[in-house]
Amino acid sequence: MTSLAGIPYNTLVVAAGVAAVGFAAGVIGSLGVLRKRALAGDAAAHATLVGVAAAFLVTGRRDLPVLLLGALVAAVASLGVLVLIRRFTRTRDDAATAIVLGVSFGLGITLLSGITARGIPGGGGLEQFLLGHTAALTAADAGLLAAVSAAAVLLVWLGLKEAVLVAFDPDFAAALGWPVTVIDYALVALVAVMVVVGLPAAGAVLVTALVVIPPVAARQWTDRAGTMLLLAGLIGLVSAVAGVAASAVVPRLATGPTIVLMAAAIFALSLLLAPGRRRGA
Amino acid sequence: MNAWLSEQAAMHAWAIATAAVVSSGCALVGTLLVVRRMSLLGDAISHAVLPGIVVAVLAGGRPGGMLVLVAAVVTALLTVWLTQALKSRAGLAEDAAAGVVFTTLFAAGVVLVTAAAARIDLDPSCVLHGILELVPFDTVRLGGFEVPRAFVTAAAVFGLLLAAAILTWKEQLATAFDPAAARAAGIPVGLVTTGLLAATALATVASFEAVGAILVVAMLVVPAATAELLVHRLPWMALVAVIVAVFAACAGYLAAWWFNTSAAGMMAVVLGLEYFAAAVLAPSDGVLSRAVARLWLAWRVTCEDCLAAVWRSEELAADGRAEAPTAVSLWQSVAFRWLAASGQLVGAQGAWRLSTRGRVEAETVVRSHRLWEAWLGRHTELPLDHLHPPAEWIEHHLGATVRKRIEAEVGVQESDPHGRSIPPERK
Amino acid sequence: MERVTRTSGPGSDSGPALEFHDVTVAYGRRPVLWNIDLVIEAPGLFGIIGPNGAGKSTLLKAALGLVPLAGGSVRFFGRPLDEVRRRIGYVPQRETVDWDFPVSVMDVVLMGTYARLGWFRRPGSGERALANACLDRVGLADVADRQIGRLSGGQQQRVFLARALAQQADLYFLDEPLAGVDARSQEQIFRVLAELRAAGKLVVVVHHDLRTAAEWFDAVALVDMRLVAAGPTAAVLTPENLRRTYAGPLDVLDELGRAIEQGRRTP
Repeated sequence: MTSLAGIPYNTLVVAAGVAAVGFAAGVIGSLGVLRKRALAGDAAAHATLVGVAAAFLVTGRRDLPVLLLGALVAAVASLGVLVLIRRFTRTRDDAATAIVLGVSFGLGITLLSGITARGIPGGGGLEQFLLGHTAALTAADAGLLAAVSAAAVLLVWLGLKEAVLVAFDPDFAAALGWPVTVIDYALVALVAVMVVVGLPAAGAVLVTALVVIPPVAARQWTDRAGTMLLLAGLIGLVSAVAGVAASAVVPRLATGPTIVLMAAAIFALSLLLAPGRRRGA
Repeated sequence: MNAWLSEQAAMHAWAIATAAVVSSGCALVGTLLVVRRMSLLGDAISHAVLPGIVVAVLAGGRPGGMLVLVAAVVTALLTVWLTQALKSRAGLAEDAAAGVVFTTLFAAGVVLVTAAAARIDLDPSCVLHGILELVPFDTVRLGGFEVPRAFVTAAAVFGLLLAAAILTWKEQLATAFDPAAARAAGIPVGLVTTGLLAATALATVASFEAVGAILVVAMLVVPAATAELLVHRLPWMALVAVIVAVFAACAGYLAAWWFNTSAAGMMAVVLGLEYFAAAVLAPSDGVLSRAVARLWLAWRVTCEDCLAAVWRSEELAADGRAEAPTAVSLWQSVAFRWLAASGQLVGAQGAWRLSTRGRVEAETVVRSHRLWEAWLGRHTELPLDHLHPPAEWIEHHLGATVRKRIEAEVGVQESDPHGRSIPPERK
Repeated sequence: MERVTRTSGPGSDSGPALEFHDVTVAYGRRPVLWNIDLVIEAPGLFGIIGPNGAGKSTLLKAALGLVPLAGGSVRFFGRPLDEVRRRIGYVPQRETVDWDFPVSVMDVVLMGTYARLGWFRRPGSGERALANACLDRVGLADVADRQIGRLSGGQQQRVFLARALAQQADLYFLDEPLAGVDARSQEQIFRVLAELRAAGKLVVVVHHDLRTAAEWFDAVALVDMRLVAAGPTAAVLTPENLRRTYAGPLDVLDELGRAIEQGRRTP
């Protein structure tokens, strides 16, 4: 079987993989939004570019698992730098995030441009990680993305009780003797993982939207955390599939922006249509 | 050959000059953004102005032209308004609201650029990180000279920002420091903030061709954050931020030329290095100087403890309960040796005695300790047997004036709550 | 020196229900609470009273391990915190959480059972029955399914109290439970607290209202950066003690705090 209803088999598999990423990003993003860390992954997202370029330079290969492993290392390193800045300087959090984001993106661009300028074979395609491009993904790549996403969702399902309590009332959780800081780091690490697996589809610049917009759209429809996570996952899934479909049809269109616009459209509709969630407003 | 070389040099010089002016403007605006904790908004605006720029270009505006500048400012204000609306109407947290707005607007911008790529002179990668290297090739004639168009725009915007900063400095300062008090004093806080946001948009759009939408974030925030670690007053901070930015522009461009890579990216990297250097080396807030200060304090405390221990053993010896102080750690044995070498202790290991100078120091420490215990006994519900430990670390922080004040409060006493004598002030 | 002394509490505990031994608490390096020494026995209703910024809430948080101790120790029933956490119930200040959070009243009360549930296990029917009973005790059984943001301030505070009840503790800490609470909720809250005392528990309440303090608490501690006085309410709330508590921060402590923070000597 090479096609279904005229759609190439590979496109279907890729769409399924990216759909899984969209779902997981919505679920995990919801926890980030509930913990008031909506943009926790943004600096890490911009830093992934360094990892992608460095992984390519070190290994000379362009296999997705290699590049994404590099991206994950860079993402975690950037979060580590953020922690260090908070711990050792008096720079405020918002500025620290902007510093890590801007400087790491600059380093990523420097590496990418250097690779391009030297004409290293295979280096040209790395720019696709800026804005996302799913056309080049293989079925194996999609399988990897789906597997990581499934593992992330499973982890959240296991620790849902813990994550929700820490997000709602960290002081109470700490009074129970829970390691709130560890749980917080785990959450941020999960967001970083989602940012990394979201990279091929949404790109470093826009992947943050994948963990922010579906959750806030879902929040308009429900007052229960569990339902919100599920809905956010579905909205993420629909947006991801729409992005893949659109860029399959329109040749030069990057997937990232399309996914974001789809999610934004669902958010706008949710604002208009959802039964008045706001008290008093 | 020579003419070609000097033409090359002129090209580089123009590119560097443009980068320097562009990042100076960003640094100036960024200073206010950073102290007002609005770095996130700077980030959001720099992304979000993209669709405004694209629409203006599609409508026939030239990059860097008036139409584009106005469109960028309008989009920036729209971004902020949308963020506020999502906060108040949809109940989103500030960062989530900003995240929704700027990613959406930026995505719209990218889609527009892609769709209109055939018709306009913007390409997606330029949007992301700019092409500083191409700036010198697009020139206008100005007073008989060929000047890069981007430089003219950047210089004009910088002039405007500088003038605005100088004219409204008092208002910006008051608003940044305490918005509520500023409002009470009749300063139009909303207008001042809107002005700052418009300035951010202007600085961003002027930088667009040179460094692109994302690296602007680094240009806005890093110089100011670096300056904040080095100096403590706002005017100085702005000046240092501009110097940091100009240095990054020059060094970044040259390094990029040397390594044959993106100049804008390298400028951001140099800014990062400058920030790192400041974080480690800053005179009072640097990691290094704070580590030295902590080490110095630990050393002083150890020396004072050693002197006090000898003093107390001499006090006990007077009661016939002699007990020679000994070093219990390497750190302390080094301290004992240093105190002997510097003439504060005489004698030998196991039989240290205080010199006259050492006695003054020791009595000051013991006096601090016992006065503090007397003070605690007066002001807190603390049983006698609990008095000792806290006084151990307070004694090293008491100065003469506060000691006098404590003495005045507890009354000049012969003895502390444990019944031991409080030595008189010797310094 | 007045001390609170009562007959020993239940069980085979080796010490008083709560004991602060020379506790100093610092934010960063700067001490905000100096040398607190306090023994409280169960059962009882104990008030921690003092002006704004006196460090009352900080004292509770230090006891619960939410802020680190710079010196001294806290013991519960003669044991360290880690051995007795499940016997401690906690009601944080109402403003510390986001009431727009998507959880129902029942969800919040169930959180009180989490410590006993252990990691990764979800509450079952037994926990739900307990949570319902706790909601009933605070008079909120009929709003169990409502989103927490749709309750009044007093109701929200009672939800927090119900959650603490679901912890089935022996020692309860309440941080400003009456701030911004209507009279009916106040009465209900104190009725529940009195029930707890009758059941042999110790209830420690951070409180800022002197009038109600005299009426409700068996014993109080007056705190302003240090412990000014502690003991039976009538003996402690004297004009002289109150003057010392509310006279404003002691400038010696202020000077010293800054000097310690900056690692230097005072003038």
